[in-house]
Amino acid sequence: MDLFKFLWTGVKEQQMLFGLLTGFALFPIYTAYADLPFWNDVAMRIMLLGMAAMGLNLILGYGGMVSFGHAAFVGIGAYCAGISQFYGLNNGWAHLGLSLGVCGILGLVISFLALRTSGIYFIMITLAFAQMLFFLFVSLEQYGGDDGMSINRADFMLFDLYNPLRLYYLIWSALLIISVILLFIVHSRFGVVLRAINNNESRVEALGLSPLRYKVTGYIISAMICGVAGTLFASWQEYVSPDIMHWSRSGELMIIIILGGLATLAGPLLGAVVFFILEELLPELLNLVAPSYAENWMIIFGPIMIFVVLFARGGLMGWVSRLAARRMSDHGVGQ
Amino acid sequence: MTFTLLLEQIFNGLQSGVTLFLIAAGLTLILGVMNFVFLAHGAQVMIGAYAAASLISITGNFYVAALAAIPITFLCGYVLEYLLIRHLYQRDHMDQVLATFGLILFFNELIRIGFGPAALFSNLPPSLSGFVYILPDSPYPVYRLLVIGVGLVCAAGIYYLVTRTKIGAMVRAGASNESMAAALGVNIRLLRRFIFSAGACFAGIAGIMLGPLTAVEPGMGEPLLILSLVVIIIGGLGSVHGAFIAAVVVGIVDTLGRVVLPLLLRSVMEQSAADGAGPALASMMVYLLMTVVLVFKPTGLFPAKG
Repeated sequence: MDLFKFLWTGVKEQQMLFGLLTGFALFPIYTAYADLPFWNDVAMRIMLLGMAAMGLNLILGYGGMVSFGHAAFVGIGAYCAGISQFYGLNNGWAHLGLSLGVCGILGLVISFLALRTSGIYFIMITLAFAQMLFFLFVSLEQYGGDDGMSINRADFMLFDLYNPLRLYYLIWSALLIISVILLFIVHSRFGVVLRAINNNESRVEALGLSPLRYKVTGYIISAMICGVAGTLFASWQEYVSPDIMHWSRSGELMIIIILGGLATLAGPLLGAVVFFILEELLPELLNLVAPSYAENWMIIFGPIMIFVVLFARGGLMGWVSRLAARRMSDHGVGQ
Repeated sequence: MTFTLLLEQIFNGLQSGVTLFLIAAGLTLILGVMNFVFLAHGAQVMIGAYAAASLISITGNFYVAALAAIPITFLCGYVLEYLLIRHLYQRDHMDQVLATFGLILFFNELIRIGFGPAALFSNLPPSLSGFVYILPDSPYPVYRLLVIGVGLVCAAGIYYLVTRTKIGAMVRAGASNESMAAALGVNIRLLRRFIFSAGACFAGIAGIMLGPLTAVEPGMGEPLLILSLVVIIIGGLGSVHGAFIAAVVVGIVDTLGRVVLPLLLRSVMEQSAADGAGPALASMMVYLLMTVVLVFKPTGLFPAKG
């Protein structure tokens, strides 16, 4: 492939993505300077949810497969860490490997079965699989059942995770690696075919390609990315429970993607940032206006979601690119 | 297991099945006829339950409150369709999922602000809190029998409406080919609004009847919503009789599973673990059933679109 052309495609999006990544890399310097270590924790959570949303976006945004059960893979990733630690295996790299393997196999089985259906049926069958896994972990009493289990931070050897900054940069590195991998995937032949399937599946088939194979592969990759996010999430939270795979969490991932912008690389990360700003800001705002209702911030968040769906097509990334296009046309560049 | 226990559980399963059917009947038409993913249908159940519970405390009469709550739920559906839902029909499924997910958050929080986070419990009037003997030695609560009866009457009513009336013919025409129905002079916009409000109303009736049986609390509708989605998918989108069969099957499988599975598990593990794992595994069974159906019949058992 023409490397130069590859790097040039979607350069705006890459600027945004690497801008955000640089921001996250420098953020701990700011928090150390301003003495706000709590915000490092928030930033880690944002990066992890952004990572999971990026994984989901590969099939949801680029592939057009509305999977309503991806939180299950995040949960599986987390339980891979939790259960191995339960049996005394505390090596973080082993957890990650296990999580990649389990999520890969599970992604293969689930997508192979689920992709027999399409449309509303696909949304529902992915939800059904996620619910099955959710109730499976609720029923596993020895791993805490409904209440979940406390775990220690995994041992990543080079990274001593009891130093919170090392955990921060471990998560950051994972995010960077996944971003670069996704960048390559999206612009590779595979990514082009995946988008073409989203556009018109029968045409792709007429070209002699098997859409199912591409869709299953995309699903597996996205499941594995969510698994990595989950495994790191377990170390961050030092606690695993079925709540992480509740169906509303899958909804949350979808909100993050649509807030940021479907089928964009930076969108999910941007969406995760905005999601958490809203989550932090709305209670504060309500506290100013009506202090007794501060904890009911969802009553504003729900309508915001509806408005985003109704009026903000393309999410924040769409807004950014429209803004950029207008600025360019103001300067008489590019028609 | 004794025969009486089994019979009692089958009745409980039937009761939860007809309740599920009331929720699923409207939703299957919303999904099937309008091709609209409506996740806030559980909120309609919650609205029905809260309307009935607050009317009971105002009027003090269960029957009056239950009957008065029905038009309220119909009106809620009508207003919701007019204000928001009609703007979403042309959107893709992803947008519909997210907008109606936002609605769930909104309604749950609204109820939490209005009625507080704690669960409401409403007492049954003395005339409904007794038992009847379905067999000489097995008493069964009157109220649950009433729920089964009302559910079956509603099911018969829906069946009559869909198969024997002009509106029903339009609904079926819309389910099998909407643009053709529109070309033949069916007012699709009005039809959609009617289906939506009627669906909200039936979900509301389910909520009203569930009030005295379960905890009436914010978020009570979501587990029911997910279960009724399972029912709809098994029965086939847009098929009311498919939804009825699937609802009864899901209700009985779910209820029997909760009783039978812990008993089976007890023979392989100790009792406390079995009692904990049984209900969760029983909840899995329903999804397993749906997956098996979808793998062999990807459009459900009785799809309306042929």
